Amino acid sequence: MQRILEYTLMFVIVALLQVFLFDNLNLSVYLTPLVYVTFIVLLPMELAPVAVLLLGLATGLAIDLLMALPGINTIATLAAAYTRRGVLLLIAGKEALHDGGVPNAQRLGLKRYLRYSSAVVLLHGLVFFTFEALTWRYYYLTLLRTVLSGALTVGLVFCCQLLFLMKPVAKKDRL
Amino acid sequence: MIKFFGFLKRIYVFLLFIALEALAIHFYANSTSYARAQLVSASNRAVGHLQAGLAGVTGYLRLREENRALMEEIARLHNSPAAAAPTTGADTVVAADSATRASLSPYRYSTARVVRNSITRQDNFITIDKGFGDGIEEGMAIIAPSGMPVGYVLGCSDKFAVCMSVLNREFRASGKIKGSEFFGSLYWDGRSYEYLMLSEIPKYAEIAVGDTIVTTDYSSRFPQGLPIGTVESFELREATYYDVRVRLASPVGALRNVFVIRYEDAAERRGLEEELTGQSY
Repeated sequence: MQRILEYTLMFVIVALLQVFLFDNLNLSVYLTPLVYVTFIVLLPMELAPVAVLLLGLATGLAIDLLMALPGINTIATLAAAYTRRGVLLLIAGKEALHDGGVPNAQRLGLKRYLRYSSAVVLLHGLVFFTFEALTWRYYYLTLLRTVLSGALTVGLVFCCQLLFLMKPVAKKDRL
Repeated sequence: MIKFFGFLKRIYVFLLFIALEALAIHFYANSTSYARAQLVSASNRAVGHLQAGLAGVTGYLRLREENRALMEEIARLHNSPAAAAPTTGADTVVAADSATRASLSPYRYSTARVVRNSITRQDNFITIDKGFGDGIEEGMAIIAPSGMPVGYVLGCSDKFAVCMSVLNREFRASGKIKGSEFFGSLYWDGRSYEYLMLSEIPKYAEIAVGDTIVTTDYSSRFPQGLPIGTVESFELREATYYDVRVRLASPVGALRNVFVIRYEDAAERRGLEEELTGQSY
């Protein structure tokens, strides 16, 4: 129950951050962080794939409405949510997935966590920017946007997972 | 049969994913710029007041800058020949205060504040804090205090209007080199929010880096002669026309106050053009 509350709170926080902070920053065409993907990245590993997919759908729809984009967030978030399990299997392994828990830096180890989150964020970004561009004419531009925005997003997702884990970290007296 | 259901059970997540993705893509692919404006409008209902509040805060922080821009605009009006003696010269002047000129000009100016403005997407929109209730209508032009066109109204609610930004790949206007009659079509290629592209300038046009690009009178939205920007670079395409990179006169991202222009003859002109050519401009 507490966990549901925590995730709801995280969802609200990342959505608000996305819409009111990062969408208003207008840094550059090449730096548009999509922070809300944090929610998908940090969903518990033991969650059923269909639940992850439906949560991805809900996230995408909510962000689409808030950002006023006609479905791009939904397309990208669905793709990220669907492939998440495969990425986890590949990078964290079957045992970690079986043990469950939040796929954060603490549980997966920093290196594996970074590889996992980068993979999900980059895939999400690639789908997002490809569908936003809808042209092959400047594909190098889309790739550049994906990589630069992705790098920024990975950093922000990392910060978000630190925030989200503040409490358990304090309990275990780590860091 | 059991095997088949077992198979379905194994792949139903995949099937669900494909179905949802197909629906989302279908919806996205069929969304016109009008539908997108509707969506921005719906989104404004959800977050518009908060966004307007935020715009108020940042607006307050920029008062000094804004003041300076307004003073510059006033100075420009004082210096313009139209302020001294109203003529029907080549350059239409923004909000000329001369009564005779105002009654002759088919353009009516009003002001609005930008409450939402994106510049980092591929299809950007601007939301202003005036709508139907303030006499805003679809098709009205939006220009920056410097006179640079920044978009036109796509649709409005009672208190807000959503505008197509110049930084939208569906934005189209025509532009010409100031002082000559060579014109081309103006669009945004989605690469940088500081530049627009002006293409189809004939190869025998005299063009140089630094030349000013202004609006033409082919538009049923923008008055002619508004400064769009300056020529940053140009290259010859297919040995027939130039593609010109135009540096925008003022940054779209820093917009706070804008002028909304009503073109009184727009309906008549568009009606006639549509009736006779079957195309809308």
